[in-house]
Amino acid sequence: MHHDKKFAVVNPSKMCQPMGAIQALLGVKDSMPLIHGSQGCSTYIRFQLTRHFREPIEVASTSMSEKTVIYGGEFNLMKALKNITEKQSPSMIAVTSSCLTETIGDDMVGIIEKFEDANLDKELPVIIPISTPSYVESHVEGYNRTVKALVEHLATPTVKNGKINIITGNISPADVKEVKNILKEMDCESIILTDTSENLDAPLTEDALSLYNGGTTIEEIEDTANSLGTISLSKHVDSAGVFLENKFGVKSISGPIPIGLENTDSFVKYVSEIGDLEIPESIEKDRGRLIDAMVDAHSYNYHRKVAIFGDPDFVSGLTRFTCEMGMIPTVVCTGTKSKRFIEDINNISEEKGVSPTILAGGDLYDMHREIKESGADILIGNAYGASIAQEENIPLFRVGFPVFDRLGAQRISVLGYNGGIDFVDKLTNTILDFYYDEAGYEIEEPEEVVEEFAREEI
Amino acid sequence: MEPVTETFESRKKHVCVKGEGLSIPVCDKASLPGTVTQRTCVYGGARIVLMPITDSIHLVHGPIGCAACTWDIRGSKTSREDIYKKGCSTNLQEKDIIFGGEKKLYETIIELNKLYKPGAVFVYATCVAGIIGDDIKAVCKKAEGITGCRVIPVQSEGFQNHNKTKGHWIGGDALLDYVIGTKEPEETTPFDINIVGEFNVAGDLWGIKPLLEEMGVNIISTLTGDSHVDEIAQAHRAKLNIVQCQKSSNYVAKKMEKKYGIPFIKVNFFGLEQTVASLRDVADFFGDEEMIERTERIIESGLKEVSHKIEEYKKRLTGKTVALYVGGNKAWSLVRPFEELGMDVMMSGTKNGIREDYEMIKEAVRDGTIIVDDANSAELTRLLKEHRPNLLISGAKEKYISLKLGIPFCDFNHDRITAFAGFRGFVSFAKEVDASVSSPVFELTSKSLRGD
Repeated sequence: MHHDKKFAVVNPSKMCQPMGAIQALLGVKDSMPLIHGSQGCSTYIRFQLTRHFREPIEVASTSMSEKTVIYGGEFNLMKALKNITEKQSPSMIAVTSSCLTETIGDDMVGIIEKFEDANLDKELPVIIPISTPSYVESHVEGYNRTVKALVEHLATPTVKNGKINIITGNISPADVKEVKNILKEMDCESIILTDTSENLDAPLTEDALSLYNGGTTIEEIEDTANSLGTISLSKHVDSAGVFLENKFGVKSISGPIPIGLENTDSFVKYVSEIGDLEIPESIEKDRGRLIDAMVDAHSYNYHRKVAIFGDPDFVSGLTRFTCEMGMIPTVVCTGTKSKRFIEDINNISEEKGVSPTILAGGDLYDMHREIKESGADILIGNAYGASIAQEENIPLFRVGFPVFDRLGAQRISVLGYNGGIDFVDKLTNTILDFYYDEAGYEIEEPEEVVEEFAREEI
Repeated sequence: MEPVTETFESRKKHVCVKGEGLSIPVCDKASLPGTVTQRTCVYGGARIVLMPITDSIHLVHGPIGCAACTWDIRGSKTSREDIYKKGCSTNLQEKDIIFGGEKKLYETIIELNKLYKPGAVFVYATCVAGIIGDDIKAVCKKAEGITGCRVIPVQSEGFQNHNKTKGHWIGGDALLDYVIGTKEPEETTPFDINIVGEFNVAGDLWGIKPLLEEMGVNIISTLTGDSHVDEIAQAHRAKLNIVQCQKSSNYVAKKMEKKYGIPFIKVNFFGLEQTVASLRDVADFFGDEEMIERTERIIESGLKEVSHKIEEYKKRLTGKTVALYVGGNKAWSLVRPFEELGMDVMMSGTKNGIREDYEMIKEAVRDGTIIVDDANSAELTRLLKEHRPNLLISGAKEKYISLKLGIPFCDFNHDRITAFAGFRGFVSFAKEVDASVSSPVFELTSKSLRGD
């Protein structure tokens, strides 16, 4: 590996903690996220989220400026809590910190307590402080801390509920829907932490403009302490599950993200075991359809080289899945420095006989350099991969966050058997569009003899 | 006086109606904490002004978020290099916050210079960089000495001010202090100009530049659309500055007038009438008979080429109403172009307006027009619901508020993909407005299966 770049980040493949926090919070019903920092923090996060989901995204700001930075943010935060409470009456205000307010040392917990004490006679929303300094780790950790903060503040043991908690991690609304669909088919009662499927893929109606009116309720979050178990789809967002296990004895399972056949099988088995539930025929059928789709597609995608980037669990899920399809991952990249990611990929590599270059904590510059070295026929990742794909003359299969240059990001689905079917079809069609002619014959590359591959089936 | 719409007590005077006493809303005040303000930060303001310089690296000195959310978002096109599109960050970590980020910044600049050989490295200070007290100026100076590349500090800590206009000024100051006047042009002509405050969003510059060149004007530099830093370095030799975005760039023009004696005129290439007036103003400034004649011919053929092309759109658009909630400049400069399409501006407002912006808006709009300052999401939603314009012109964050209400929308900000400036640009503008206002999809929005 070359080391021509050690300090600079060029074209980041990660975002900051508050971004992950907001993504988790958008799945809580009647809540208002508030970023304690400069106005830019909330504005730029809203900008990224809104052009990806194509929905209005409401995130309030404490609007810190020079004077308030010098004297501390207490006045602004108190005022913000008052204003949101009075005008919007949400059930919850979730306050995330920023690098600014972390560095000046604002005591958010203390300020919130002071606000609550000062308003003892009034009915206040639940107010939850979440520490998310942006110079620590990435948006993935921000998401993790946020879900943990929610259960830490709210989970209350009462009566066993027979449900399974699902911590989704940062997946698309369509993927959340697919998870809910599997649970429904299995007759599994669940609590989704957090359920973004309604708020971030909302029908066209004026109601969508008031508070986030879909998603997980405060009562549901309180009830997580009474569940049979917690399954964190992403290994990197399992802190809430671990907390519930340690504090309330709610069994915690960490990953793997149900992408591809084997991982989805694991998920279904976990649900079946924890909930003591039969696996219904409808699930078996969906599973059979995924295998059918993979068989239908194999001759087109077999041994295609693939480079994958995005959130750590998402990338490892897709790495396994593409291996199941007979593709060869050559470069896998996540912006998050993660040992668990490296371990996951090493396991997959050993099991499947592949040896991709692993970038954990890398940027897109690093990834591009590795693609030039290791080769790739197709790139899988978010919209920021477009210029690399163009330069390397390979297609980009858009998935993950953000996808702002194509429509329907909220409907991109890769999870579960049905998401898998969608993925296999669309990925293989992308390959067909790019490497085959209009009649479906493989376009010959001048230096290679591909006769036997292309003509054999006729 | 009755407030225009229901809101916080302290926000009431930020919304007014022209002709009813006030006519200019209270403005340039800190946003109310806890509201969803559409404003951004000082860093954003500086970055937006400088980012279109295409041969330069724009390095954000701070934690990853500031860079991760803002790289390659301006929509400024380039005809040459595209290294300005890279998202560069020092990616400050906790230990850097404790021990300081200067060394990391220095190494990062050295590295980026090696990798890209840029015309310049602009180093933006973010909130945290300011608070931990990194001496960005000193680091830039040292790195410049080692690399021989221009390394320019931009003191743009996000929290400095509630108004990102301050960021525009800081961006301008970076050019005035470190770039303009540092290189002499090889040759000069009597008709040398700079185009100031044109950022080539969606290629707007390319609708303006050919017209000016045909007139016989020599463009030394553009601040900053599709520019090289070396060209801006020669800007001090211009005989005239023409200022397109007067919100962001009057500041630079005024300072250049003071420092170099370069007069400036305000131009506006949105809409036919304003394009014509701007071209004439430039020609009149130079007073060259041949140029004046050429300009008249350019105007004549320009108008001839486009006038029949907008008739069809105009037919469908006449009588329709439009609300503007945009940057300070567009809040008034778009009023006439819409009137040229037969439309009626019923509301105009801006996120970061200062008093002089609102004076301009007040001049441009008719009596009865609502004028808003720093409207937050809730107020904007309320105003749109109450008045239901046929079109909202705004940016990405407001887009889906409008669409969820079934109100057509055009992006006039970063996500705009069509150039609107100049004669041909006006046809594209009319076409885009028509595509939103006249689309049949908006007739479906109120229908329900249950008949409610």
